[in-house]
Amino acid sequence: MNDEPTQPAIRIGADGIDVHKVEEEILAAVAEKRAQGVYDDDLVARAEKNNLLTIKDDETFMEQYLVCLRQIVPVDINDFEILERRSRFAPVSKAVKKVIWKLLKFYTYRLWSQQNQTNNVLLAAIEIMDRRYRKETAELKARIAELEGKV
Amino acid sequence: MKIAFVSPRLHEPGTVGGAETLIYSLAQDAVRLGHRVEMLCTCAKNHFNWANEMPEGSFERDGMTVRRFPADPLKVDSFARLQIDLSRGRRLSDAEEAEWLRSGVNSSALVAWLREHAADYDRVVAGPYLFALIREACLAVPEKMLLVPCFHDENYARIRALQAAFRGVRGFLFNTDPERRLAHRLMPGLAPRVEEVVAMGIEPFEADKGAFAARTGIAQPYVIYSGRREEGKGTPILVDFLDAFRRRTKRDVHLVMTGSGPVDVPPTLAPAFHDLGFVSEREKREAMAGAVAFVHPSVNESLSIVVLESWLARTPALVHARGEVLRWQCESSCGGLWFGSYPEFEEELLWLLDNPAKAAILAEQGRRYTLERYAPDAVRARFARALEE
Repeated sequence: MNDEPTQPAIRIGADGIDVHKVEEEILAAVAEKRAQGVYDDDLVARAEKNNLLTIKDDETFMEQYLVCLRQIVPVDINDFEILERRSRFAPVSKAVKKVIWKLLKFYTYRLWSQQNQTNNVLLAAIEIMDRRYRKETAELKARIAELEGKV
Repeated sequence: MKIAFVSPRLHEPGTVGGAETLIYSLAQDAVRLGHRVEMLCTCAKNHFNWANEMPEGSFERDGMTVRRFPADPLKVDSFARLQIDLSRGRRLSDAEEAEWLRSGVNSSALVAWLREHAADYDRVVAGPYLFALIREACLAVPEKMLLVPCFHDENYARIRALQAAFRGVRGFLFNTDPERRLAHRLMPGLAPRVEEVVAMGIEPFEADKGAFAARTGIAQPYVIYSGRREEGKGTPILVDFLDAFRRRTKRDVHLVMTGSGPVDVPPTLAPAFHDLGFVSEREKREAMAGAVAFVHPSVNESLSIVVLESWLARTPALVHARGEVLRWQCESSCGGLWFGSYPEFEEELLWLLDNPAKAAILAEQGRRYTLERYAPDAVRARFARALEE
């Protein structure tokens, strides 16, 4: 039985496209944008919730989970556009909402900035623990391999 | 040769199930090869309750004799409990495996027929693997059995009682090379007499790219998914990703789905979601032809027929990178891209939207690959070889 991976059936000619090259370019673009913080968006983190369940090995899961956590950890404390979907009394309703927001802003800013501090400290702690456990696991694996080699 | 095909359900319109379609297609290939064919199946149509909805007995259809046998009653409580444990990755004890098999889908009448008439058949072809019925059939006629396992990398495939039965069969008919490699990983030392990657033949077709938009009025670009809509197929991932894509990129890309099963769509995606339900083959192909991409977000497939169909409809595929077989299909055909996370999905969908000429080349490469590998004649030749070995 031949266990070699199957060779691509398609021969890439002058007009053809090699999907491996396209993937490489796309992964490079993703890495660059990730570094620029383009995906630091709670929409991205939320979109990943079902996708995380498809990861079978714990190491990759933790890696991806931390990426999502980093994206979602800062609570947005800035001003936001106040909308009113109901057309009736919309101008009045919007004005009331704006006043309420102005009154609450001082209080919520204090509350949310403290929440952000807590979130960041917790994230840092998890990241430190993750790095430490990865390092320890790698050292233990190397040690086991060394001992097995001696037996 | 006289060949029996064993399938838990009979493939017919309204019965969604890739494995049943595959077994039926192979049976039809056997008829075309000049063999005498009998199809043995249960009277069930619904794959949730396995109620005996169809009458017991035999009839002729498409050049073969179909024999329907009553399915044994499902022991729902114990079966469901163990199914949940299995899907959570728990390893069952020997006693629990036996209980799972006793509670699951089986047909004592069908197995009794097979044992009684074993001498009448030269070969028996059965599948998919994860039913007590298929295990019993393997134990009844191991020396004649060609198993079409449709293996996925999942906990069910590690059930020792199933593996023990499969180790004794005459041979395996796989759908893809990754599935064959998976079988050897699951059952080290496996050495069947016959081992062939056969898959399923697909008749070439042409589909009008503009017909779907003209009929439905959907003028916006859209991605499509066809098949069962459930967690195991990854459809919630597609819904999440496309919703985020629309909100982040402000591109008005719609989502079209055909097939069955509930879809939980958030209000932000609802105006751009089109659930067509069951449609005719022609409508499905036209819907595929008009799409930017066929998206398959499943990580558990043994061969995706719908991806092959989308290539025949000249539409590129966008599949989940952790779906080993789907990714292999795209890598070996150069007919599609694969994503492991939302950012990759976003970049790839943007690439397909912004490079329609290149997307068309990917689709054409996929079509060429499908015509070479999955042409009915090519599949029939591989099947004939496996039967004769």
